[in-house]
Amino acid sequence: MPAHWTEETALKGRGHRSLGRRWRRVSTRSVIGRGPSRDGTGAVIGRWDPAAAARNPRKVSASCMGRRRRRVDRGAAVGALPEAIAALSRTLPAGPSPEIFRRAKFDRPEAAPALWQLLFRVLSPLSANGASAPPAQGEPPSTEAQVRVVKSELHSQGYPRRALAQLPEDGSQGSRELLLALAWLLARGPLLERLLAQTRVRLGDEIPLCECEALASPGPPVPRVEADGPVDIRHLQWLMGKLRFQWRKLITSQQEQCALLGKIHSYTRGCHSDRSLGHLSVAETELLRDAEGGRQLLRRLESENVCLEAALHWRRQELVFWRWMDTVLGTCPPEASQPTFVPRIPEKGAGEWELVARELQALQEELRGAAEPRRAAWEARVGGWGPEWSAVQRASREAVGLELAALQRAWERGGAAAQPHGPCRLVKSDAGASGGPGLRAAQVIEVLRSREACLEAVLCQLQRQCRQELARLAGALPGLIWILPPGR
Amino acid sequence: MSIVTVQLGQCGNQIGFEVFDALYSDSHCPQGLCSKRENEVYQASCKERFFSEEENGVPIARAVLVDMEPKVINQTLSKAAQSGRWKYGQHSCFCQKQGSGNNWAYGYSVHGPRHEESIMNLIQKEVEKCDCLSGFFIIMSMAGGTGSGLGAFVTQNLQDHYSNSLKMNQIIWPYGTGEVIVQNYNSILTLSHLYRSSDALLVHENDAVHKICAKLMNIKQISFTDINQVLAHQLGSVFQPTYSMEGSYHYRRNPLGELMENLVPHPEFKMLGIRNIPQMSENSLAYSTFTWAGLLKHLRQMLISNSKMEEGIDWQVRPPLSGLPTLGKVSLNRELHFNTSIANLVILRGKDVHSADLGGFKDPALYTSWLAPVNAFNVWKTQRAFSKYEKSAALVSNSQFLLKPLDTIVGKAWNMFASKAYIHQYTKFGIEEEDFLDSFTLLEQVVASYCNL
Repeated sequence: MPAHWTEETALKGRGHRSLGRRWRRVSTRSVIGRGPSRDGTGAVIGRWDPAAAARNPRKVSASCMGRRRRRVDRGAAVGALPEAIAALSRTLPAGPSPEIFRRAKFDRPEAAPALWQLLFRVLSPLSANGASAPPAQGEPPSTEAQVRVVKSELHSQGYPRRALAQLPEDGSQGSRELLLALAWLLARGPLLERLLAQTRVRLGDEIPLCECEALASPGPPVPRVEADGPVDIRHLQWLMGKLRFQWRKLITSQQEQCALLGKIHSYTRGCHSDRSLGHLSVAETELLRDAEGGRQLLRRLESENVCLEAALHWRRQELVFWRWMDTVLGTCPPEASQPTFVPRIPEKGAGEWELVARELQALQEELRGAAEPRRAAWEARVGGWGPEWSAVQRASREAVGLELAALQRAWERGGAAAQPHGPCRLVKSDAGASGGPGLRAAQVIEVLRSREACLEAVLCQLQRQCRQELARLAGALPGLIWILPPGR
Repeated sequence: MSIVTVQLGQCGNQIGFEVFDALYSDSHCPQGLCSKRENEVYQASCKERFFSEEENGVPIARAVLVDMEPKVINQTLSKAAQSGRWKYGQHSCFCQKQGSGNNWAYGYSVHGPRHEESIMNLIQKEVEKCDCLSGFFIIMSMAGGTGSGLGAFVTQNLQDHYSNSLKMNQIIWPYGTGEVIVQNYNSILTLSHLYRSSDALLVHENDAVHKICAKLMNIKQISFTDINQVLAHQLGSVFQPTYSMEGSYHYRRNPLGELMENLVPHPEFKMLGIRNIPQMSENSLAYSTFTWAGLLKHLRQMLISNSKMEEGIDWQVRPPLSGLPTLGKVSLNRELHFNTSIANLVILRGKDVHSADLGGFKDPALYTSWLAPVNAFNVWKTQRAFSKYEKSAALVSNSQFLLKPLDTIVGKAWNMFASKAYIHQYTKFGIEEEDFLDSFTLLEQVVASYCNL
């Protein structure tokens, strides 16, 4: 037990101020310190958690006992805290040492770089693509870029503390704020689960069923290039054409991948020890061919195991961490409360929905009340314009009707069949063997087809608008001949 | 990734044979000047691209042969079989008893629809033999009946059936003094239709290749075989394998795709030309040595002065000083001295290829104002020598090189059209005056676009 941790726990006893915010957490395991602490002295323990108590009777007895026993428990916590933090570090990608966390509590600048980097790795949208390789390929981004990504990503997730946004961009300061942000992320959602799922070793041939996750994370901000002067339209057309060719290349290589996968699956039929799979995946076939690859895979599996064990350890011990985080929160200046922007739809009770629905209804009525007299006045004014006007009116009403119908169809389609998510293992089975678990390719194709139809309808509509706009422009310049570009 | 070649008409079939023969001989050439291992990878890469294997080990060209007369196809098949090194597939050709009589409309509107299903079935069978289809290489003449009319029809069908696959049409520009009276009509119809359905038009001018045979190869009695061999050599020097990137020893998987991405992304600029250096008879080759600096200096001057071969380069032509308005680009009537490029791709093959300095091709003055050299210039390399040449360079260029011939052909065709000469030969088979007018409009637009770079 290092001496400084003892000193650390001693510091905790100095009481803490009332906190503006508390760790909100869905999990019952760590409901510690939800309300403002009632006693000004023993802030370490916070509230008693019956659920945790049920799981860990030894601790319950400790916390239920008198002052003497509590001291003993504190002694145990002294050992548990660095252990819990170490477990957390082992679970995180490039997690720093517990010492860094301790220094961060005192806002020591030397702890800042490691924490900026940790948060960058945790938040980096690149890592969301499910690649097992670390996201930092090629040159790692500069510290400034990392700091910017961390700030903007936290902001977009609704992180409320302004102190973080005001930190200097050189990444030299703010270790305590970063520690708070990390704890916020941990408390907020399934961060560890997501990270572990990303770095999972994949043995099967997987296929993503939808791109919603990729679409949800827009990727790193693209540096804007300001044009020096007016941009030649031909340059844009050139770039557009290039993009089209790249699309076609991508499609071709995907088709090739499918063809080769099909070959491997049919050549290795009956080779798999798991009867329900029946054939080998690419990774498994590669193992048979290449012994060195096998050793590498073993190493990767071992390190994944270490991570998972650490995660389990952390789960058992995180209580201690949250108590300690309470004291961290206590040491930092409270911020004036400001409205927190949370982008997710909060899971609120039915009562609140009703409230919102009523409000919406009221607004709609108000709108109707305001619009109808205006419409009546307008119609009275243009009433004398004759059949031309009514034709225009009819046409626009029809257009609106069509659009509405299309929207409704799209909505129903999207709502009816719950779209499958996440990666799935590709398994080729006999045509006759129907039923069984898993998704059929035909089902997935159907979902994709309907999605394609929706997108195509939108595209057609946009193209129609463009054509109308072009026709309008062409009409405005009578001396000009418009020649549509050939092909494509 | 594989390329399926479609050989159409007399010209397309004769050239197709020479192309496959050149590809095969080069990849089995003992003088590859590289390690055995590297040579094997090169061979495998070439084979995957252009040949499929039959049981007895003889490679089969990934090709479909189409003609409306049996003579040329039979000759082509037997020539390939006689070589004993490679052959065409047993069921990969389609022919009929009666040609198109140099009438584009007959090939396009009669032969095309009548034999559409059989031809497309043949192509589909060939496509199914590929693990991965990169695209089609369609070899045809521009000014005839079957090759050009049917070729335009087939290309359009390929566009409908395989819209994601790439389509490159290799077209043969007729002699300026051709003997077919309606060659200009046929040419504008071919070009305008291909401009709508193809991704790139790789143009070879008969006149230019003829001159290469006479001046560089020292051939006295020039036959079509000689011309086609030069042409096949040029195509081989572009499409044989090259390293996928600088410092890598992997071969490029999808050269057709990358070539198009580099050279023809813009839908109005699809005309490509090839120049290569050195090009000489085998006898002279034995007594010649080359340096990369010398070859590239010549190649660059060939590009900017728009000469098709090493001999007779106009060394007076200089790129316009950057920053000043470029006079030569403004008007067609003024003689075009300087050939402005949109994009260039240089392919280098042979010894010490890594030492070659390509700075001369990265001069912004060579290119249009709207495309920087970094976007407009690319280079492919391999250390493996090509076809007995210790060092060789090829240049595929999207530039103004065809502006004058195109303008001439459109002008001649327009003059005939204005006097309604021979139009009834076309309207008889469903090509109306309106179709001609559409073709003129499109090509005038192409001429204008290339003119105002």
